[in-house]
Amino acid sequence: MATTTLAPRAGTWRQSWVIDWLTTVDHKKIGILYIVNSFLFFFAAGVLALVIRSELMVPGLQFVDEATYNQAFTMHGTIMIFLFVVPVLSGFANYVVPLQLGAPDMAFPRINALSFWLLPLGGILIFSGYLFGGAAAEGWTMYAPLSNARYAEGPGTDLWLIGLTLVGTASILGAVNIIATVFKMRAPGMTLFRMPIFVWTVLATATLILLATPVLTAGLIALFIDRNYGGAFFEPSAGGNPILWQHIFWFFGHPEVYIVILPAMGVVSEILPVFSRKPLFGYRAFVFATIGIMLLSFSVWAHHMFTTGQVFLLFFAFMTALIGVPTGVKMFNWMATLWRGSLEFTTPMLFALGFITMFLIGGISGVMLASPPVDFHLQDTYFVVAHLHYVFFGGSVFGVFAATYFWFPKMTGRRLNERLGKVHFWIHFIGFNLAFFPMHPLGISGMPRRVADYSPDAGFTLWNIVSTVGAFMIAISVLPFLVNLVATLINGERVGDDPWEANTLEWATTSPPPPYNFDRLPPIRSERPVFDLRHKHDAEHMAAERRAPEEGTA
Amino acid sequence: MTVDAPTSMSADIGASHAEIGHREAGMPTPLVGMLLFIASEVMFFGGLFAAYFNARAAFPGEWGPPPPAHALEMLPIALPLTLVLVASSFTMQFGVWAIRRGDQRALRNWTAVTLLLGVMFLAGQLYDYSILGFGIGDGVFGTVFYTLTGFHGAHVFGGAVGLTILLARSVQGQFSARNHVAVEAVSMYWHFVDVVWIALFTTLYILG
Amino acid sequence: MGSSTAHSRWRTGHRVGSLLLLIAALAGCGMIPPEPETETARSVFTLYNIVLAMGAAVFVGVEGFILYAIFRYRRRDDRLPDQLHGNNLVEIIWTAIPTIIVLILFAASAITLGEVEARVDEPGQTIEVTGFQWQWEFRYLDDDEDDENDHTVVGSPASPPAMVVPVGEPIRLELTSTDVVHSFYVPNFLIKRDMFPAGTEGGGNQLEFTIDEPGTYSGQCAEFCGDLHARMTFTVEALPRTEFDEWLESAKAGETPAPSRDAAGTVLEISADEIAFDTRELSAPADQPFQIHFTNLEGVVHNVSIYDANDAEILIGEPITGPDAEITYDVPALPPGEYTFICDYHPVADMTGTLTVQ
Repeated sequence: MATTTLAPRAGTWRQSWVIDWLTTVDHKKIGILYIVNSFLFFFAAGVLALVIRSELMVPGLQFVDEATYNQAFTMHGTIMIFLFVVPVLSGFANYVVPLQLGAPDMAFPRINALSFWLLPLGGILIFSGYLFGGAAAEGWTMYAPLSNARYAEGPGTDLWLIGLTLVGTASILGAVNIIATVFKMRAPGMTLFRMPIFVWTVLATATLILLATPVLTAGLIALFIDRNYGGAFFEPSAGGNPILWQHIFWFFGHPEVYIVILPAMGVVSEILPVFSRKPLFGYRAFVFATIGIMLLSFSVWAHHMFTTGQVFLLFFAFMTALIGVPTGVKMFNWMATLWRGSLEFTTPMLFALGFITMFLIGGISGVMLASPPVDFHLQDTYFVVAHLHYVFFGGSVFGVFAATYFWFPKMTGRRLNERLGKVHFWIHFIGFNLAFFPMHPLGISGMPRRVADYSPDAGFTLWNIVSTVGAFMIAISVLPFLVNLVATLINGERVGDDPWEANTLEWATTSPPPPYNFDRLPPIRSERPVFDLRHKHDAEHMAAERRAPEEGTA
Repeated sequence: MTVDAPTSMSADIGASHAEIGHREAGMPTPLVGMLLFIASEVMFFGGLFAAYFNARAAFPGEWGPPPPAHALEMLPIALPLTLVLVASSFTMQFGVWAIRRGDQRALRNWTAVTLLLGVMFLAGQLYDYSILGFGIGDGVFGTVFYTLTGFHGAHVFGGAVGLTILLARSVQGQFSARNHVAVEAVSMYWHFVDVVWIALFTTLYILG
Repeated sequence: MGSSTAHSRWRTGHRVGSLLLLIAALAGCGMIPPEPETETARSVFTLYNIVLAMGAAVFVGVEGFILYAIFRYRRRDDRLPDQLHGNNLVEIIWTAIPTIIVLILFAASAITLGEVEARVDEPGQTIEVTGFQWQWEFRYLDDDEDDENDHTVVGSPASPPAMVVPVGEPIRLELTSTDVVHSFYVPNFLIKRDMFPAGTEGGGNQLEFTIDEPGTYSGQCAEFCGDLHARMTFTVEALPRTEFDEWLESAKAGETPAPSRDAAGTVLEISADEIAFDTRELSAPADQPFQIHFTNLEGVVHNVSIYDANDAEILIGEPITGPDAEITYDVPALPPGEYTFICDYHPVADMTGTLTVQ
């Protein structure tokens, strides 16, 4: 049990195993704790999603009343965003970034443990509203004055605010740690422009978290003061301003979208080159596009507020349109990476390609919403629900599954079963599109979001049935995934240190890596040190080929 | 074209085990962490300041504390408190310079003085609260005033806790010219808290 | 690489293809907005279709390439492909392409935005629209100064209101809310606008539209506003000007309050505050008329209505808005039994009770 920095305690093996995981400061174990914890919340949020979809399948209230429904979608959104997608990607960042940099651990291992343990605490607080007369029910955007004490009675909303403050603090501490790790812990030879793209995207994400999340914290505290100490920030009757909440929330909320999508883009940018056997096309362009998105994301928040009539429409429309440019550059670079590659369709590659195709739809609907007149029609309809799920779920969650299948052999030494993985992908992919594509036509024909019910005469029924069927397909797709996890952990194929013939440093150590990660490091002379090592003879060969181009290709 | 397995790895090692780890050059890692943390704190106070200016711009009536209090009394309390806090930034820095020279005694003294000034500031602020005559629930002004100054006060308190630890450690002689990262980190934080107060003082008391 | 793997890969590709065809079919069916019924809706409709067409072109181009790459560049042997690291010229080109696309979209949006946001000097009718949890109040502003005689329509979740308006003339809506944020949305007008409490930023929002044809168009609150958000519906009924004038005149005439009869015995007391009745139990004698004296203590619209066990209407009480508003309802003689009394505007548990007649 020499796998942590702590000496094994006295007692039985089982006790020491539990204490070991509860007290670990090893970034790899903390990363796995993040991932496991996030998936538990993912399943909880998924159950809530099924409640929502069951209720909406046909007109009328069949299963839950309005209050329960409103709690369900509020908690679903909150948990999926704050307790699944963001932390699960933090988990992969925790596990992978030090390895990819050739570092022994994060810069601040103990703060790393703290920032993990705040998460389940915050999550339980958010959930515990259900025990005290009902969870928060004002939507994950928590708009004032609906969230003021007068309209949102009971402790559910207060618990939501406190829990989210903890979760936010956790992610700020995590971001400090990631940035310090990137700048202070890189191995010799690992210059900034040799860092894997995943590290770049995680760095950009951490910067966004560091600068955007504290603003949300300020807003959460302000709302808490309004609710509990007679404050008047957002209270119209005392001269407060409800729109202020929207500004604060979205100043954080839009960078949050990129907090969620950038690391998933990074995952995809690691996976595509490996299974195309080519370097990522336009590495530097990709880095600059990432930085561009990061900077622009602070100037687009009010596109969530076009219909308030109180924002400078043309400025925010212009900035929002501009953010499509670096995103487009990334899309082109991914396409060019596939071009003339040697593509192998493993499960992580399928999820990565799924990410590209689904994120494209989310990106296009996003550019449509950037046009204020179009947004006047589509804002707060199911079109927006479709858009955000194509970005968060078709984008980020596909990226999460890609990362899970890709790095599972590194974490355990065993590869997840490919056949089950492909079953998972296809049910998931088809179910996803059945569930969420119909939400576009629903929104376009005028179905508002966050309604518990709709009129049978509105013509929404057919699409809602399709969508509910798709939601249950997504739920079913989780079964082969879980079976695969358990079966592989018990009896999976042992595949060695580098089963995918990958490029980056995490594959240069053992699977799973030893404490402090590396006994030795290969030389780092490009962004693909392990590739260079594997092909160092080929490199000379190819140089010779280039000198005689036509002869070598026969 | 064949792909060779990396058999001869040991012949071409980039970094040995001893080389992996912290980079020695540049700013010490804890200070990098502190700077990043302060950056997030800047955004936190930025959010609160933005709330203040938005509330002020959107307020329908005349901006200011609710009657009967008419304007914040700047001179009797706030200005002396400002001077106390600004002075404490200097004393903190004298301590840092002292330990850079290796003067443990001077560090201890300057830290004690800084802590004392910080506590004076907190006490003064609590006194100010007690005589202001309006509360956090008294309109938008009351809310933003107490939220901004209250959170600043909480940060001063956090800094004072840090100073106390620093004082205890310096009494035990734990710092030297080579090893005093904690002193630098606390001083960074203390200067930041001071700067936030200057911004608050300007906004609340001078601009009104 | 065995032939069975190749076969299963072909099947995988086939499935991807048919799925994308399914998506395309779905897209064709539902991606066009509802029939635009106002002048501004038509410009938004045109803009939307331009945007959609450009989006569809990008979608087909990118997904087409990815599908092509999936089939064309499938791994066939163990050869290492050309290690292509990038090309600055193509990077510049494909930075320029999305830049041009989004600039075109921005320009088109800016032009349409000007049309949508244009305001006339003299609208044909101005209506003050007030949202509250969870319904609408439409007040028809007229030329005189007296607000009391403006015609007002108040809806309830059980009977959503109709906003009757003349066709062919600009209608201006002045949008406010008495409580939380609501949003006025008519899908056929392809527009919505949020409604904020009066006196706050956004509390003076306006919306203007000119309806082309007589007809009935359904609308609904679009900003989540609490428990009964989904039931905050209304209709817009567009009439020719002459019919509209007749309607307004007769609607105003019908508003004179009916003379109330002398108190005939039992008077039940009930009041409402903080979206709750002070009692959930009332009882009255059977087979004789009685009265309900209702006091509304807060600035939110409430009423008292009575329904029998089959949900049939016994009394639909006239709504009043406090603070400290009072009204007396006359209730006809009822056979013994259990009845439900409820505020039609807030049919929540706190505003629902049992009336026992015995």
